[in-house]
Amino acid sequence: MTAPASPTDIAGEPAVVDEPPFRVPRDRADLHTFLQAALALEHLTIPPYLTAMYTLRPGTNRPAFYAVRAVVLEEMLHMTLVANLLNAVGGRPLVANSRFVTGYPARLPYSRDRFPVALRHFGVAALETFLRIEHPAYVAEPPGHPSVAGDEGWTSVGQFYAAIREGLLSLVRAMGEGELFTGDPARQVGPQDFYNSGGEVFPVTGLASALKAVEVITDQGEGADRTVFDTDDRFFGEVREPAHYFRFNEILQQRTYGPQDTPASGPSGPALEVGWSDVYPVDSEAKVRHYPHGSAVREAAERFNAGYARLLWVLECAYGGRPAVLREAVPVMLELRDLAERLYRNPHPDAEKAARGLHASATYEVTEAHFAAARERWSPDRG
Amino acid sequence: MSSPSPQLDGLHYDVIVVGAGLAGSLVAKQLGDHGWRVLVLEAGTRTLDTWPGHLDAMKAYYGALAKVPNAPYRGNIAAPSPDLLDLEGLPGGGYRANGYFVQNGNLPYASDYLRAAGGTALHWMGLTPRMHPEDFAARTAFGYGRDWPIGYADLEPHYRAAERVLGVAGDAAEQRDAIGLPFPDGYCYPMHAIPRSHLDNVLAARLDGIPVRESDDAPPTTLRVVTTPHARNSTPDLRYDQGRGYRPAGAAGLPNYGERCVGNASCVPICPVQAKYNPLKTQATWSCKVDLVPRAVVSRVLANANGRVFGVEYQQYDDPASPVHTTRTAEADIVVLAAHAIENAKLLLVSRLANHSGQVGRNLMDHPVLLTWGLLDEPVGPFRGPGSTSGLECFRTGPARRDRAPFRIEIANWGWSWPTGSPSGDVARMLGITGDSGQPRGRGRFGTGLREALGRRIGRQISLQFAVEQDAESRNRVTIDPALRDRLGNPRPVITYDLSDHVKRGIAAAKAVSDRIFGILGAEDHTDYAPGPFAPGHFRYDGRDFVYHGAGHGAGTHVMGDSRETSVVDSWQRCWDHSNLYAVGCGSMPSVGTSNPSLTMAALALRSCEQIHRDLMDLHRPRVIRPVRVARARTGEGRT
Repeated sequence: MTAPASPTDIAGEPAVVDEPPFRVPRDRADLHTFLQAALALEHLTIPPYLTAMYTLRPGTNRPAFYAVRAVVLEEMLHMTLVANLLNAVGGRPLVANSRFVTGYPARLPYSRDRFPVALRHFGVAALETFLRIEHPAYVAEPPGHPSVAGDEGWTSVGQFYAAIREGLLSLVRAMGEGELFTGDPARQVGPQDFYNSGGEVFPVTGLASALKAVEVITDQGEGADRTVFDTDDRFFGEVREPAHYFRFNEILQQRTYGPQDTPASGPSGPALEVGWSDVYPVDSEAKVRHYPHGSAVREAAERFNAGYARLLWVLECAYGGRPAVLREAVPVMLELRDLAERLYRNPHPDAEKAARGLHASATYEVTEAHFAAARERWSPDRG
Repeated sequence: MSSPSPQLDGLHYDVIVVGAGLAGSLVAKQLGDHGWRVLVLEAGTRTLDTWPGHLDAMKAYYGALAKVPNAPYRGNIAAPSPDLLDLEGLPGGGYRANGYFVQNGNLPYASDYLRAAGGTALHWMGLTPRMHPEDFAARTAFGYGRDWPIGYADLEPHYRAAERVLGVAGDAAEQRDAIGLPFPDGYCYPMHAIPRSHLDNVLAARLDGIPVRESDDAPPTTLRVVTTPHARNSTPDLRYDQGRGYRPAGAAGLPNYGERCVGNASCVPICPVQAKYNPLKTQATWSCKVDLVPRAVVSRVLANANGRVFGVEYQQYDDPASPVHTTRTAEADIVVLAAHAIENAKLLLVSRLANHSGQVGRNLMDHPVLLTWGLLDEPVGPFRGPGSTSGLECFRTGPARRDRAPFRIEIANWGWSWPTGSPSGDVARMLGITGDSGQPRGRGRFGTGLREALGRRIGRQISLQFAVEQDAESRNRVTIDPALRDRLGNPRPVITYDLSDHVKRGIAAAKAVSDRIFGILGAEDHTDYAPGPFAPGHFRYDGRDFVYHGAGHGAGTHVMGDSRETSVVDSWQRCWDHSNLYAVGCGSMPSVGTSNPSLTMAALALRSCEQIHRDLMDLHRPRVIRPVRVARARTGEGRT
């Protein structure tokens, strides 16, 4: 399978995401660093996916809408599973700070290619970005494996998770399972706290559940063992669905995968209708400063960023020992949906961009001031 | 026109279920899981179990001018459904009935239902309170209505089973404590209670612990706001099922969706995410032993001279806009009617079956609902969350039932939407569009002034819904008239309906209680019961005007009892006159208490499945014929 071509329309220098050193985590502190990086990695994809979803004109492109929506929710599930894993090994998941939210466009991490992940409207370029993000990594041996040269650097997200997996195994061998998994079980988010997507949140309390978490994250993204499908049927007794990569490919190819299809065969099921023009095109490098002071668009973009900070603040509270407050994320997400609808339907305030048909868009520039305001506005104790 | 459906003539099933609504879907599920071959015949269409079908219904709902319960669902002339818009109040009182029903009673039967795969439970509110133990013997204890041949204890395990299959969220400890419902020790619902609305909390702060009297000489009743159990996805309770927990069932037609209520506030007529239970969710879990044939209107149940039924005759159509159809038959060992109380009665009457007692079609009941509405002195955040999350349960039973019907009070979360069509009704009024006066309208509000006035008003709207128990009366009935038929030639239900004085006294008491509650709340009462086009349920009692609404809870038409002489079905919902014909659903209920009846209907259906399964086992157990000598030796009864 060939990876899609690199888009070249991004003018600015992409932001670089911090990556842990190219090795298997050596000790607990190392593992914490890796898992915090995994948390950021899982989050990195959410703004681009939300942008694709919110740029679909309301009421159109329903198959694409539900596919992207389901993937977004599963990325949130992955974030939560990583947070559980980090809590289980005595770490503290941190998501409500401005360093956590990378600027966009960002360089795709854990990859040799200088590939920009940008906030693109729904379309071929966005889908090609998503395919690049979720690309199955069949050769993903962890650092130190005989087939992997020592100085190679990360080649894929799958390899990064393989390193975490290897680190978990070796740390359990070295210090014992009970010694590694010392986190307070009360900090674990459970199935009662989060669902509404494929898969299920489960508490991580030892090696078995930790490895299962890693497997769910990689299988839902890339598919299980060279198949098109994820493992939700095996792990959760749910309907088996194409993994993220293949769901995006279905939209791009405008055809769904049939039950016997393989990655090599491509999708051969029923046609899937996509309205490529039922979209609000946006400037993939939009910033709030591009919108005039005092304009309604600027205000809406600011409110969206403030709302997004609130979402991350709720998540940090939930991951920080108050799993039940995860439910507060639901109204915040609904509010973000409404704010997005109000923002994206406006032409870009810049006349030249508006003439190119571009619309205003959310920028995901979340600042410390936004987080301070979010903390001020809501806390789980006052909740 | 060629038919794509398989020719079923001559095919033989173990069970035919007539109707793919709540009761029929549960019966098919249980029996299919037991391995029986089940044919489900559904009169309506089957478009809603796919996501595009669901979205089509959403679109129809958004576009509908009147958001009545049937608004999202496409019309069907082959299998017409009654609609709330069929009824029209007359200027000086009285009503006119258009549409599918023929009505000739003093008062109108003011409820609808939906003939489509999934049935009326596609647009139910999803409230699942259990009946009160005293509801099962109202005749013995309070001297009105009819008694059940079984009691709460007989039904209790089936209530639990129903709460599992519907996925109920609730607080069992609170139900036990506030209402006195018995539960087994340690029982919890599959999911935690749906959180109370802000309005519930505001009302609880002002009402809890306050005694009220419905009249000056009546004993005091202490108010308490109690959360209502819902068949609606909430937070799973990890304690459920001995710690095994519960996995909420998501939407039909879209994987991994709708696994939690997010407060879209349109449960009636359609839950956009399907967090609310609907029978399509059960249908999605049917075994391959269950065949559903939609667009198949059962026109007759077929019986032998010996009283046993052997199948049904049905009319298969392709186009719901045309009366063109093909008449077919299907055969089975057992036939289960699950087509709605009124449709079941209609089928029995047209088939001339099960009517030794003369009770088929009689005892038609609903919950007449009295609405009261007012403005509170502070914003209460209406139009969020399910239509009702809490109620006042303290008038559901007690000695007062001897004199007047009991009632259950639902706290409405959607402002004045039911009584006055808010919020669009408020907008129209403030714009100066006041209906059909035909006169030039004066200056309305608009712009910022309109928005501010709307905010001030809508945000403070409160409404109480008093669901009053209606007693079984043989004069309230469904009949058929050969001259009055639908487009397929099937008889239309002819309905004769009225409220007894017992019910009217209950309604008057409900209004008196409302007045006192509004007084305690300091609410500005805007309740108005003038006759008019939107008040077909208007009546005068004791010199005062009242208006009731239908609750959609049609019941009683094939009433259950302990004798063939006085009832249509036995406690298994099996027709006394035909040992292999069942009629399931609310039609079997001898009384409806004050509970929304779907949970009880589901419990009854699950209970009947046990007997149907036993019946089928008996039919299939080989008769062992042995030489006489061997039998004697085996049983030790040998004699010469």
